[in-house]
Amino acid sequence: MKKRLTFLSVISVLVLLFLAACGNDSESTSENGGESDGGTDETQSGSGEEVELRFSIWDSNQESGLRQIANEFEEQNPGIKINIEVNGWGDYWTALEAGATGGSLPDVFWMHSNEIYRYASNEMLLDLNDRIQSSDVVEMDKFPEGLKSIYNFEGTQYAIPKDYDTIGLWYNKTMFDEANVSYPDDTWTWDDLYDAAKQLTKDDGSQYGILTPLHNQEGYYNFVYQNGGTIITDDKVSGYDDPKTIEALEFYVNFVLEGLSPQEFGDGERVTHLQNGLVAMGFFGSWNLTGFTENEYMAENFDVAVLPASNDGGRASIFNGLGNAIAHNTDHPDEAWKWVEYLSSEEGQTRQAELGVAISAYEGAADAWVNSNDTYDIGVFIDMVDYAQIRPYSNTTAVWEDRAYERLNGAFTNDKTVEEAAKDAAAVMNESLSQE
Amino acid sequence: MFNYSISKRKPTKRQVNEWFWGWFFIAPTIVGLIILNLIPIIQTMYLSFFRTGAFGRGNVFIGFDNYVRLFNDAQVWRATANTLLYTGLVIPISISISLVIAVLLNEKIFARTTYRTIYFIPMIAAPAAVTMVWKWLYNREFGLLNYLMDWLGLGRVDWINNPNVALISIVIIGIWSIIGYNVVLMLAGLQEIPKDYYEASVIDGAGPVSKFFHITIPLLSPTLFFITVTTIIQSMQVFDFIYMMIDVASPAYDNTVSLVYLFYNNSFKYGERGYGSAIVMLLLAIIMIITVLQMKAQKKWVNYR
Repeated sequence: MKKRLTFLSVISVLVLLFLAACGNDSESTSENGGESDGGTDETQSGSGEEVELRFSIWDSNQESGLRQIANEFEEQNPGIKINIEVNGWGDYWTALEAGATGGSLPDVFWMHSNEIYRYASNEMLLDLNDRIQSSDVVEMDKFPEGLKSIYNFEGTQYAIPKDYDTIGLWYNKTMFDEANVSYPDDTWTWDDLYDAAKQLTKDDGSQYGILTPLHNQEGYYNFVYQNGGTIITDDKVSGYDDPKTIEALEFYVNFVLEGLSPQEFGDGERVTHLQNGLVAMGFFGSWNLTGFTENEYMAENFDVAVLPASNDGGRASIFNGLGNAIAHNTDHPDEAWKWVEYLSSEEGQTRQAELGVAISAYEGAADAWVNSNDTYDIGVFIDMVDYAQIRPYSNTTAVWEDRAYERLNGAFTNDKTVEEAAKDAAAVMNESLSQE
Repeated sequence: MFNYSISKRKPTKRQVNEWFWGWFFIAPTIVGLIILNLIPIIQTMYLSFFRTGAFGRGNVFIGFDNYVRLFNDAQVWRATANTLLYTGLVIPISISISLVIAVLLNEKIFARTTYRTIYFIPMIAAPAAVTMVWKWLYNREFGLLNYLMDWLGLGRVDWINNPNVALISIVIIGIWSIIGYNVVLMLAGLQEIPKDYYEASVIDGAGPVSKFFHITIPLLSPTLFFITVTTIIQSMQVFDFIYMMIDVASPAYDNTVSLVYLFYNNSFKYGERGYGSAIVMLLLAIIMIITVLQMKAQKKWVNYR
C-alpha cells in the first residue's frame, strides 16, 4: 500500500514536470516575443497602463540618438516605454525572420528595401493606410516619392520612411597635402579620381590611394549608374552584362589590379583601412557619420566630397532609406502607432536630424542634419540627392546580391576578366530572378 | 529460487520497482533526446521534401526535387569536399599533437597543472570570440602573422582571402581549439593504465619509445577511439570558424564553405528551408556512414581490457 503510494506520487510528479515542460515550450514563443507584454498585462490589471514596446534596429551608431528621442517621447506619453534592441545587420534579419515565423516580432522595427517584399507580401506588417489617413501629424506628401513607394506594396503603406542615405567620397586631407594633390570637389571626374589614386599610392605598400572593395552599395553600384549602366532593369532582368555596367566595373576593379587599392572582401574590414591610415580615399554612406566623427584619427584627418562624375559627366550616388514598420500581430497597435507617428512627424524627424542620427526623410529636415555636425562637410550628401539612384532591389534581393558577389570576386583577384565575371553574375542573378 | 520461478509468469513487485526506477533515472536523458534531437531530425527530414515559403507558410510538397537539385549543385559537392578535407586534416594532426602533449603532461614535470589549465583554455573560449582573435592574427595588413612573415623576409600571405590558403588557416584554428579537449580525455585514459606494466617492461629492457608504442597506445586505444568518433562528428559540423572568418564575398568562399555553412545560408539567409534541410540530411548520411565504418574498424585496433 505504502509502496503503491510512493509509486503514484512519483508518477504524478513526473507527469506534472512533463506538463510543465510542455507548457513552457508552447509558451516560449509568446514569451520571447512579449516578455514585456506579460509584465504589462499584470500591471495593466494592477496599477495602470504601462506599455513596453520593443523597437528593433540594426545600427548601433544610431542607438544613442534614438534613445534620446525615445526618452522625449516617453515624457510626452506617460505609460509607454520604448525598449531599443540592436542587432547587427546580418543577425537582425535572421532574428526578425525567426520572430516572424514564431509569432514574436518586435512591436516596431526597421524595414529595408531588400526585405520589404517578403514581409509585406506575407502580411507580417501592420497596414498603416487608415492610421496615416486619420493622423494629424503624419503627412506622406512630405516624404520623397521614391522612398515612399519602396514601402508601398499593392497600394498599402507598410512602413513610413525614416531617413535616407547617399554615398560620399571620404578622403584623408593629410595624405592629400603630403602628396600635393588638391582635394576632391564637384568638378572631379573618373580621370581625376584615377590620377589622384595614382599619386597617393606609395610604392612600398604602406599607403594606397583608394579603397575599391567588393561592395555593392558603397562601391561599384555608384560607378555603374554614373556610367549609365544598370544592375536590374525595369523588367527585372540583370544588368550585369550591360556593356556600360561592365565598363564601369572594369574601371572600378582596375584600381585593385593596378595596386592602387588593397584587395578587400570583408564588410567590417573596410572601415579599418580608413581608420588605420592605409588608404587615402574610400566610399562610405552617410549613416557612418556618427562612427566616423567619434574616431579621433578620422575626425582630425578626413573630410567628405561628392562622388566624382563619369568622364561623360554622368552623376549618381546610391540612395536608400529605411522605414519604420509595425508588426501585424503586435499586442499594442495603438501605442506602437503612436511611436511610429511621432518618429514620422515633423517634430520627430527634425529631432532625428538635429541629433545627427540620420538624414531625416521629411522635407526640409535635412538642413538640421547638416548643422548637426561640424567635423565634416556633410552637406554633400544632400547635394547628391538631386541625381541619386535608388538602390536596386527586387523580391529576392538578398539572394542575388550574394550570388553576384560569389561570381564577381574572381575579377578582383585577376582569376577571370571583369567581363567574364560580370556575365557569370548576370547569369546567376537571372536564374535567381526567374524563381521570384 | 522461489522468486525466480514466479517471475516467469508475472513480474514481482520488486522487479516492477526496479524497472520503474531504471526508467526513472534515464527519463531526463531520453526526454531530452526525443525533444531536442529526435523530433527535430524527423522534422528536418520532412521539411526536405518541401519547397518552403517565407515564415514557415505555404510549404509545397515537391518530393525528391530538393535532392535532385542537391546532386546537381556543384557548390554542395565542393562543400562536401571542403568538409571532408577539413576533417581529414584536423583529426589526425590534432590527435597526434594531443597525444604527445598528454603523455608529456602525464609525467612528473614542473608546473604541470598550470600546463593542463593552459591547454584546456581554448575549449572554454567561445568559438566566435576565438575566431575574431585569429582573424586579427591573420589580417593581411596589420596581422601579427604577416608581421612575423615580413620580419623573416618571407613576404605576406593573404591568410583569409587566398583560396589556396584559407582552408589551412581554418584548419589551424580547428586544431588549436580541439587539442585541449583531447588532452583532458587522454590524460584520464593514461591514468587508468597501471604502473606495473611499465615497471615490468623496464625490467624486460623496454625504452621510452617501445613503452609508448607497446603499452601506452594499445591501452589508450578505447579513449583514442572515443575521441576519434566524437571529434570527427564535431569536425564534420564545422560552422562557426568559417562563418566568422569567410564572407560570402570572399574569393575563398568556394574553397572553404562547409556543409553546415551552406545549410545556414540557404535556410536562414536565402529563405530556402527545404533545400537547407536536404543539405543537412546529406551531412547526416555522410556522418552516419563514417561512424558505422569506424565501429566496424574498431575491432581491428581497439583493445578493451
